[in-house]
Amino acid sequence: MNELLEQFLAESREALQGIGERLMDLENAPQDQELMTQLFRLVHTLKGNSGLFDFPDMTRVLHAGEDLMDAVRNGKVVYSRTLADRLLDAMDFVSTLCDDIEQGRPTDSGASRQAVVLAKALRELLSEAQAPSPEPVAAAAAATPEPAAAQSSAASATSAASSARTAAAGTSLPADLAQRIPEAVRLDAWKQSHEGAQLWWVSYKPTEECFFQGEDPLHQARRTPGALWGGMVARTEWPKLAELDAYRCMLDFDVLASGPREAIEEHYRYVPEQIDVQAVNPASLAVPQGDPNGGPVYEDFVGDALELLDKGDLKGLKRAVSSMLELSNSKLWLSSALRWMGLVLSTTTPSTSMLRALIVSLRTLTPPVFDAEEEAVEVVSPSPAVEVAAKSATEVAGAPVVDASRLEALEAVLTVQREILALPDDAPWIAGRLKGVTSALTGCLRAMGAASELASLQAASEQSVQSKSASPLKNWLMDRSAESIANAATAAPKVTSAVAPAATVATAVAAPVAARAPAPTPAPAPAPAPVKAAATAAAPSEPAPRAEAAAPQDAEVADGEVRMNRRADDTSSAKTLKVDQSKVDRLMNLIGEMVVAKNAIPFLANRAETVFGMRELAREIKMQYAVINRITDEMQDAIMQVRMLPVSFVFQRFPRLVRDISRRLGKEVNLVLEGQDTAADKNIIESLADPLIHIIRNSLDHGLEMPEVRQASGKPAMGSLRIQARQDSDRVLIEISDDGRGIDPEVIKHKAYQKKLIDEATLDRISDQDAINLVFAPGFSTAEVVSDLSGRGVGMDVVRSTIERVNGSITLESKKGQGTRITLSLPLSMAVTNVMMVASDSQLFGVPLELVTETVRVPVKNVRSIKQRQAVVLRGRVVPLISLNSLLHIAAPPVINDDDEYAVLLVRIGEESVGLLVDEFHGTADIILKPLAGMLGRLHCYAGSALLGDGSVLMVLNLKEVL
Amino acid sequence: MPIEYKKKVVVMKDVVSVEDAEQLLEWLQGKSAIRVDMAACTHVHPANLQVLMAAGIKVSEWPADPDLGSWIASALTSAK
Repeated sequence: MNELLEQFLAESREALQGIGERLMDLENAPQDQELMTQLFRLVHTLKGNSGLFDFPDMTRVLHAGEDLMDAVRNGKVVYSRTLADRLLDAMDFVSTLCDDIEQGRPTDSGASRQAVVLAKALRELLSEAQAPSPEPVAAAAAATPEPAAAQSSAASATSAASSARTAAAGTSLPADLAQRIPEAVRLDAWKQSHEGAQLWWVSYKPTEECFFQGEDPLHQARRTPGALWGGMVARTEWPKLAELDAYRCMLDFDVLASGPREAIEEHYRYVPEQIDVQAVNPASLAVPQGDPNGGPVYEDFVGDALELLDKGDLKGLKRAVSSMLELSNSKLWLSSALRWMGLVLSTTTPSTSMLRALIVSLRTLTPPVFDAEEEAVEVVSPSPAVEVAAKSATEVAGAPVVDASRLEALEAVLTVQREILALPDDAPWIAGRLKGVTSALTGCLRAMGAASELASLQAASEQSVQSKSASPLKNWLMDRSAESIANAATAAPKVTSAVAPAATVATAVAAPVAARAPAPTPAPAPAPAPVKAAATAAAPSEPAPRAEAAAPQDAEVADGEVRMNRRADDTSSAKTLKVDQSKVDRLMNLIGEMVVAKNAIPFLANRAETVFGMRELAREIKMQYAVINRITDEMQDAIMQVRMLPVSFVFQRFPRLVRDISRRLGKEVNLVLEGQDTAADKNIIESLADPLIHIIRNSLDHGLEMPEVRQASGKPAMGSLRIQARQDSDRVLIEISDDGRGIDPEVIKHKAYQKKLIDEATLDRISDQDAINLVFAPGFSTAEVVSDLSGRGVGMDVVRSTIERVNGSITLESKKGQGTRITLSLPLSMAVTNVMMVASDSQLFGVPLELVTETVRVPVKNVRSIKQRQAVVLRGRVVPLISLNSLLHIAAPPVINDDDEYAVLLVRIGEESVGLLVDEFHGTADIILKPLAGMLGRLHCYAGSALLGDGSVLMVLNLKEVL
Repeated sequence: MPIEYKKKVVVMKDVVSVEDAEQLLEWLQGKSAIRVDMAACTHVHPANLQVLMAAGIKVSEWPADPDLGSWIASALTSAK
């Protein structure tokens, strides 16, 4: 499966999910224009995407759905329960198709029919003012020819059976249609059908504009699978040549085809509404053609033939027919009829009624009239081996009533088959023999109505043929007897009658769904149930397609039931793994330790060279280190990637949020999201959610003005809120900007003053930017009324601390009347921290490098004391000095080096610079910072700990807390 | 060219496509008693067939391909 298809499937599932959700939402808000539009858009997109691929069924259904939703959102069709139901069914169908595609399953042929039904159901709602009741659709789809059959009681079972049989046997081709087909073809087709092939009449009526759509219907028709004959006919009279539009298609195409119906439907899957496939009653093909040169000699023949027929002397009749044929001109009607008779006589159980009709047609010189009832005879191909077996099998097939004698006959057949299978396997015609036995057994099963056994027989037969041994079939037969087969027959109705209640339950549920359940067993699905219950004449006359349908089978029916119950939101196997976060954390820890450990290797190499004098060794170590380094880096990157989430994860809920809030406030806001693919570590992304929501709420509540106010100040009525994410080296920057009224420093200043957050002196001196930043002060809020949206004062200070907790930072810029911009800067990942190592009282500590501005040595004498604090003047600025030891309550004083200097680590906390007196500097390192857990976690002075390359533990200071 | 226009015979060869129908229609205007020779024809787009059927053209040579021939037989009659 290529990438495009994978993407399509993933998107489709999302879209289907969205459609489902919106349909649910619409139930509660049936007038919601927005939902309708969204729904329309989803269906529209889905349809467009499906058109890229070869999924005509999906596209068909989606197209109907799209047209329907378009009408709904334009108010032309009223949203209703029925509409929702049908759409849901259609989407379930689409979802099933997606599953098939994903699993690489070939689409179920019933899908085409299904698609047409669903699409029709959807379009119906379009053309009618009110949604029609689902029943007509169900009736049209499910029951078709004989709905009455479903109601039949046992008494009328036979008539139901016969009408079911007729429907099942296929419609009779009208004689004029039949005569279009050359006799040779018809003879052959009839023979094929007698050997079990299904005959279909495909009538294909392309649209007038089909040429312009690039279609060549003749080509299409010529390639119909199993085509035996084809012809075209003009729909109307041809206009004068001068007025002819050659590119307007006026031809209808007809094809007589044999083989599975599914193959035909698959072939025409792009134009199912243009074709009509009818089963053909093979007997109707037997229409004599030719010169009806009548004469008294024929009457003699007719009389003789009828006599022979009545006597049952088929051999004699055959002789009469062939001798007559030799004498007659082949172009005569007589000869044609004789040829047909010859063909019928050549079958194993010649149908006497058919022969009679043919003979009579000689007298009347009109097309023979066949009694449809007897024509749907179960066909059994003659066994090449023992004739007796074949004959008894067909005798069984012909017997109308189930009784002891039938069982006997069946047993006789089975015995013969056993004998045949007992013959040695080394005959060169073993395959033929095995196939013959299979045919005989198949006929038996069908005759007994034990279609459930067919699959296992088929399997055993295939095995036998493949292994060229009778054993599999022998074993199959050994497990069975006449009784067991008869019992299997009684078992079968249970299965099919299970179909009937399922079908009725289905109709109760929803229309198109009902169409789906009987789809595997087409047309009179309810009919076989009562028919089989009667289990009489129905059984032997059950024609091949019905049994075929029952066989492949109950499994398919069960499948249909399962499908019917499955909904679009049942999950199928996905291409992603759900991994416990702890597993990923473990991976991260391990790679972290690996990084640190590998960093020790260059030092080892240096030691090898300097201390131990092994230069060569050092070089080799360094080379190997390069390899390890590369691999470790890649591994680290890969593991980080596992935890990376795109910001869209957080962003995707914003459109809804903005819409809801702006609506509530009565403001018009246009939300623009940019850089949604920007990714960062999972923890960081997740920690963004709340702050961002808060910022957005603020923006909408306080920042953006009401449309009228905006217009009054010359701004467009619709405010714009832009959220942009981008990556900048090792940081992720998120910018939220609006074009609202901005933050007024004056207002802030005064508010802060009122809340006693600043004093008067500061009030006068504070800069605008600093004033604006006062919003970050805890307890600050300018909102007069605490709305449920914002203004509770849990605001910006919480936002800032949340951001800083993940080592991020937040800045606020604003211009009164123009807008506000908030920028969040976050690390890409939380893992690796750069620290500066310092020693104090011979203990090693780490300080995050981003806080360190300078390392400097300060002569002792430069240190002043100001108000019990020590300070030093550095480059014109006063920097307070604090001993790390005293901060950590370590008794020892800072060490002074040989030059009488302190080691001072200049750090910047927020706005202030502080000098930390330490004993010694020890360089920088990349470490994996791990927060202290458990009891130690309460020590806020430490940000965490890290493992160093030599195995020792580094305590990393949390300077903010410490200072 | 799939269609060769002789004096009284239109000779169709190989695959006659949809574009050829226009020229065929043009050429046939005002002409009578034209025959079509499809001996070497393997497929003909139905647009052309429509022209032939409307003009009542008879077939002087049937396609060598019997399948195509059988289809054409349902639409056109033989000249013989």
